[in-house]
Amino acid sequence: MVTLTIDGQEVTVPRGTTLLKAAESVGTKVPHYCYHDGLSSPAMCRLCLVEVEGAPKLQPSCVTQAQDGQVVHTGSPNAEAMRRGVLEFYLVNHPLDCPICDQSGECKLQDFVHAEGREHGRSREPKRVFGRDDFGGDVLFYGDRCVMCTRCVRFMNEVEQDPRLTVVERGNRSVIDTFFERGLDGTNWSGNIVDICPVGALVSKDFLYKQRAWDLDHTPSICPSCSQGCNIDLHTRDNLVQRLKPRTNLEVNAHWMCDHGRHNYEFMNRGDRIEAPLVKEGDRHTEVGWKEALSTMLDRAREVGGTVRAVASPFSCNEDLAALKAVVEALGGGEIVYRLARAEEEIPLKGMPTLARRRDLAPNGTGADALGLERVGDDDGTGGLETVSSHDGVVLVLGDALQDQAADFAGGASLFVYLGTHASEAVQGGDFILPVTTFAEQEGTFTNRVGRVQRFWPGLQAPGAARPAWLVLGAVASELTEAEPANTAAEAFSRWVASNEPFAGLDYASLGTRGASMNEPVSAAGD
Amino acid sequence: MAYPYVSDREVRILSKHFGDPAARTLEGALANGRYEALKKALEMDRGAVIEEVKTSGLRGRGGAGFPTGVKWSFMPKDSGKPHYLCCNADESEPGTFKDREIIRWDPHQLIEGCLIASYAIGAEHCYIYCRGEFFEASSILAKAVEDAYQAGYVGKDILGSGVNVDITVHIGAGAYICGEETGLMNSLEGRRGQPRVKPPFPAAAGLFGMPTTVNNVETLAAVPHIVEHGGEWYRQWGTEKSPGTKLFCVSGHVNRPGNYELPLGFPLKDLIHDVCGGIRDGNALKAVIPGGSSVPILSAEESEECALCYEGVIAAGSMLGCASVIVMDETTDMVKQVRRMAYFYQHESCGQCTPCREGSAWVTKILRRIEDGRGKEEDLETLVEVTTQMTGTTICVLSDSVAAPVQSSIEKFRDEYLALIRRGERVGAA
Amino acid sequence: MSDTPFKNPGFAGNTGEFDLTEDQVRGRDFVPSRPLEGGHPSGTASYPYMLPEKHPDAPLFEGAYQERFEKLLTRYPDRRAALLPTLALAQEVRGHVSPETMDEVGKLLELPDAYVRGVATFYTMYNKAPVGRYLVQVCTNISCNLCGADEVLAAFLRATDTEMGETSADGNFTIVEAECLAACGFPTCVQINSRYYENVTPRDVPGLLERLREKGE
Repeated sequence: MVTLTIDGQEVTVPRGTTLLKAAESVGTKVPHYCYHDGLSSPAMCRLCLVEVEGAPKLQPSCVTQAQDGQVVHTGSPNAEAMRRGVLEFYLVNHPLDCPICDQSGECKLQDFVHAEGREHGRSREPKRVFGRDDFGGDVLFYGDRCVMCTRCVRFMNEVEQDPRLTVVERGNRSVIDTFFERGLDGTNWSGNIVDICPVGALVSKDFLYKQRAWDLDHTPSICPSCSQGCNIDLHTRDNLVQRLKPRTNLEVNAHWMCDHGRHNYEFMNRGDRIEAPLVKEGDRHTEVGWKEALSTMLDRAREVGGTVRAVASPFSCNEDLAALKAVVEALGGGEIVYRLARAEEEIPLKGMPTLARRRDLAPNGTGADALGLERVGDDDGTGGLETVSSHDGVVLVLGDALQDQAADFAGGASLFVYLGTHASEAVQGGDFILPVTTFAEQEGTFTNRVGRVQRFWPGLQAPGAARPAWLVLGAVASELTEAEPANTAAEAFSRWVASNEPFAGLDYASLGTRGASMNEPVSAAGD
Repeated sequence: MAYPYVSDREVRILSKHFGDPAARTLEGALANGRYEALKKALEMDRGAVIEEVKTSGLRGRGGAGFPTGVKWSFMPKDSGKPHYLCCNADESEPGTFKDREIIRWDPHQLIEGCLIASYAIGAEHCYIYCRGEFFEASSILAKAVEDAYQAGYVGKDILGSGVNVDITVHIGAGAYICGEETGLMNSLEGRRGQPRVKPPFPAAAGLFGMPTTVNNVETLAAVPHIVEHGGEWYRQWGTEKSPGTKLFCVSGHVNRPGNYELPLGFPLKDLIHDVCGGIRDGNALKAVIPGGSSVPILSAEESEECALCYEGVIAAGSMLGCASVIVMDETTDMVKQVRRMAYFYQHESCGQCTPCREGSAWVTKILRRIEDGRGKEEDLETLVEVTTQMTGTTICVLSDSVAAPVQSSIEKFRDEYLALIRRGERVGAA
Repeated sequence: MSDTPFKNPGFAGNTGEFDLTEDQVRGRDFVPSRPLEGGHPSGTASYPYMLPEKHPDAPLFEGAYQERFEKLLTRYPDRRAALLPTLALAQEVRGHVSPETMDEVGKLLELPDAYVRGVATFYTMYNKAPVGRYLVQVCTNISCNLCGADEVLAAFLRATDTEMGETSADGNFTIVEAECLAACGFPTCVQINSRYYENVTPRDVPGLLERLREKGE
């Protein structure tokens, strides 16, 4: 450990810590472009220059290691003057097209110039023009906006390890490019270069001109596209998910997410939702209120009895699955199965061996397994429901829309209840069709492939009368067993924990925003 | 008459055989006493060789003037890793043309220097990084190296000493910045020739990540003489802080431009008016750049008392650099020449550091505008401030080099800038 | 001006004061011609020349060139380090470094294509587009500029009736501006393919071009 003074504040950091990180630990953010926590440091943006007493020149804080007894001034007049100077250079050729730039509002050039730059740049010269280039994949390149931090080049070299990008030419003709027309097509993680671009040089085609960054609400969530459990933010507006962005969690996905997950969000915005509880009368379904739907259903359930066969979904959270299990047990027990599509292969991120787009294409298969649910069906997520379909007792389906099943699914069941978001031909046979929320509309937790339990929060408003499944099923179980229902997701979670020995001791507060692994409860909120 | 121009005031040690085609052959070189110092060095302890060079006070001739012996002593003793010597023959500082002459007239002198230095720092491979444009010079060097290999001076078990040193002549491909030692190493490794952040310093992690020393051609060419005659012998020339002789590359408006080997501390006035035969056409001197285009311009007045040694040129307000004396007479269009230099740095900036990448181009644009008569007086202040912002804020010193000619010319030849600006304003008004 | 007899054969010694021949100054009596296969491995990397005859579709590499390529690989601890000499070698064979050449060189050295492009474009000596039989690079940097390099450059452009960087109609000449060629004492220095022509004045230009057209050197 070394002890140094930064801006008059004494701080002790491990040997090898950079001044930039040491300053961060006392709450001082030194502006920077080329430095990124997940990449090597070329020290070329020259923006993180700080004054170190005794050093002849200003030092780049991103590579200068803290030394014992060092006295550092991040905001000395000299350091500020030089950073102001460097910022002016950034604007010499920058087009200032903020009004039509997607990055506007989350742009580090805007931020830093606003914080430390000159009021007016002095350059009157014509600006250099590179124009726009389609890099392939989801990535568009606006060369004029580029600040040449080379984060994107280093991401492709060091993290994705598919070095498709390079700096071409030199000096002020330098520009980022691919190998001529060979773009980024076929890469699986290149969406990240849009995230780490500090300015609007690399933008997403999907997000192009779609929304202004400052209009978006950010909700911490978990990527539902595979069992890795990448931490993400849902960026929403107008009750629609506009884009997904990775949220830093060094233990799961660091700063990254794959393109597959990143672009798989439209399903959260689907409009053809089941919006009210439906009760089958004859061959028609009638919209009813929740109270009526549930009491009718309970009456029917008590009346028919018999064993239960249930289908769950690995897209359902732990809380929902636990509530489903409780209902099945209250009705007299039975088996619960789930189906999970499986990709042919993993898509690893070479620079981070613990991160990959996993084969299991759902977020909570592990959570289902932990509850003793049985995985059935084929690798494309179909089939395997013959015994359920032909069951003559109670059939419960949660979340699985049974797209592959025929209209006579569970035709012989004494009671067929479907809780889901969307209808299908098979679902139409349900005696009760109950609207539940998606993960994007509710609070809950997923358990990723290595048993890490991670929370997500609601970023969208549920349509109509849709309610979280844990709330609906919790009410049903409570009626059946006369136990207290869970009133909050946290309570629902505690019931799941109670029935899951490996997760004993976890609660929402201890999970925080970063999650925790089974039997490794964190002592304080992770954030 | 011998080629090229010589002066009786010269002390010709390194340049003794310039103009003698026989000196480049192995026979000629041996007749001139080449490889005698190598034999002597191989019998010495490595440390003793370094000590001798330290005693001589030889300073790096590439521009920075760092004491060579001290640089060598930074190399680890028992690292267990391969060590490398790089000979910097990427001569490209405007005004400098000495290394090419050393290479093409007396290549074995350089090869011998490389061998002694490699032995001293424990390097078994020496790369001579020749700038790519030097086709003729590098051909001569390659031939000389091959001859030296065949005669057993280079390669395995040199002269039965058990010492192995390979030499490879490598060529660059056109980039001034590869003359910066870390840029050179990147280029040699097959990368973009961008300077590296220091630390780590080359002696710790240089070429291919191994301990490396980079020395200029002229530095290495001086080494055999120092080893042969001793460090004290070398000190008979020059000053206390700048011992020895130095090749002065004189170009521009003098009657006899060329390379002149003179003791350090030689008066600049005498170099121009005596050694080089004065200013062409009997014109008056206007300004002198004493150390290549990267150092501040001296006015004629300042050049009067300037002694050409490291400390002397600093006292006069500039730097010795690589002793490339560019002489400008009264007919010189100072703004145009400064713009040309700024354009050079814009062209050669590697583009890593923002102040250099953007600043060099910006400065060039402003200067071009002034030259074209579209300048404003406040542009001069902007130029000074912008170049100040470029100084000390980058990885290497190319950025600082832009400031030198721009700031010194605005300080000393402000009237010329103003005249262009006023004329432009008049034309604009009319 | 064109009727002025041609005086400057293109070397610094030709001022009438010196008794050396051009060959002696250039060292051609010492290195008359260099073997295609690269000679001793220590010097192989320095061999690539700019030759007047260019074969854009020549294979990379075969025969003597293949031998030279393999020899230069032996001088470096990894293949990456051979990139610059290999690109130069490819240019010697093909006349310029096209995208296809970058790609092929990348495959030869097991380097990513984009990486090779990044390196190739960093350096000015790799011609990214075809050039004429003679690439004329006129130094206009300070020392030459003080002695009239701009006029020399203009004379070349005029004599070849081209714009800067353009190849003359007969395919012979491409005139470009060069940065300091390290021959500042012999202004103006002009590099034509592999050779330096020093002390060139505007008056020398037509004769110099004529000599190139006729003698092909």
